[in-house]
Amino acid sequence: MSDRALRLAAGLVALAGVGVAGYLTWAHFADTSVLCVAGGGCETVQESEYAEIAGIPVAVLGLGAYVTILVLVLWDSVGARLAAASLAFVGLLFSMYLLVLQLFVIEAVCIWCMANDVVVAPALAVLTGLRLRSP
Amino acid sequence: MARKPKVKAPAQKQSAQKRPSGGMVVLAFGIAIGAAVALIATALLLRDGDGPAPPSTTPAVDLSGIAQDGVFLGSADTTVTLIEYADLQCPFCRAYSEDVFPTVVDEYIRPGRVRNEFRGLAFLGEDSVKALRYVQAAGLQDRLWEMQEALFRNQGAENSGWVTDDLVRSLAEEIGGLDVDRMFADAESAEVTELIDRAAAQAQAAEVRGTPSFFIQIGDDEPYAIELTSLDPSALRPALDDALSG
Repeated sequence: MSDRALRLAAGLVALAGVGVAGYLTWAHFADTSVLCVAGGGCETVQESEYAEIAGIPVAVLGLGAYVTILVLVLWDSVGARLAAASLAFVGLLFSMYLLVLQLFVIEAVCIWCMANDVVVAPALAVLTGLRLRSP
Repeated sequence: MARKPKVKAPAQKQSAQKRPSGGMVVLAFGIAIGAAVALIATALLLRDGDGPAPPSTTPAVDLSGIAQDGVFLGSADTTVTLIEYADLQCPFCRAYSEDVFPTVVDEYIRPGRVRNEFRGLAFLGEDSVKALRYVQAAGLQDRLWEMQEALFRNQGAENSGWVTDDLVRSLAEEIGGLDVDRMFADAESAEVTELIDRAAAQAQAAEVRGTPSFFIQIGDDEPYAIELTSLDPSALRPALDDALSG
């Protein structure tokens, strides 16, 4: 895979991350649902005690990280590549933590959170990581 | 052919400049792991609270003097009925009971303008079933509404076993006119099972997606759904005013 293709793919995945985290941020603040549903879901996950860190919604942290990675991918200097890959790696580790929380602690699965944790974050970590060695 | 190296050389040089050294990569990923560990540790240490709000000893609403008939609260003379589907373990139902229901009682039920019907569901687990059986049993003595209010006020963590006999007995003993021993006996009765099954069937027919869900019935007309979009005390005022004016 050429570096140009990797860069394009990383940019698109980062953009998808902005979309997913943006939706979850909107959902967090919109508070449109005051409903308990069987089996939980986004409401349960986003209402849980793990949805915020020091008052900052996790979705907002994700949105900030994806926007930063997108800017770094566009910038494309040596430092930007390294920073993008490092930040994506932090995102991957944190997504794994969130995945464990959903499956084993909160015991409710949010489909948008899963899309982020299982698809977007790992893909971005791999793509930005590969660019550190691409010609 | 001689031109190729001239064209490629600058490009390769440019690409090589974009490759960080191995040492830099190791350092950056070491920092990244440290940052991730710090973030997760912070998240775990600073997580908000633990479980539901603490129990309250004071009833959120005064129901004294308001007529009750089984699952109904309020005058049978009015044509407007507010139907509530609720699960006693649902935190939003508790919030409704504490924040919105008192306004509904004061402005619509006590003055005899609206009648309230409780349709209890138990889809959140074992504690929901147990709590609902006691609430429906209290309803056989026309004390359902005090019992559901008291249980919401003392709601515990989901399926943690919070609906203990001791808790239920202590709450029931505070409700005037309720024979507590009879309520315990009735909780296991076929009549209570039938009431629970009926509400579940009604919820299924009405395609209730969760709780709390509300419907308004005018006279014998088919009930229509109204949406609770906030837990503001006046949240149901527009829908109830509309039903009363229509």
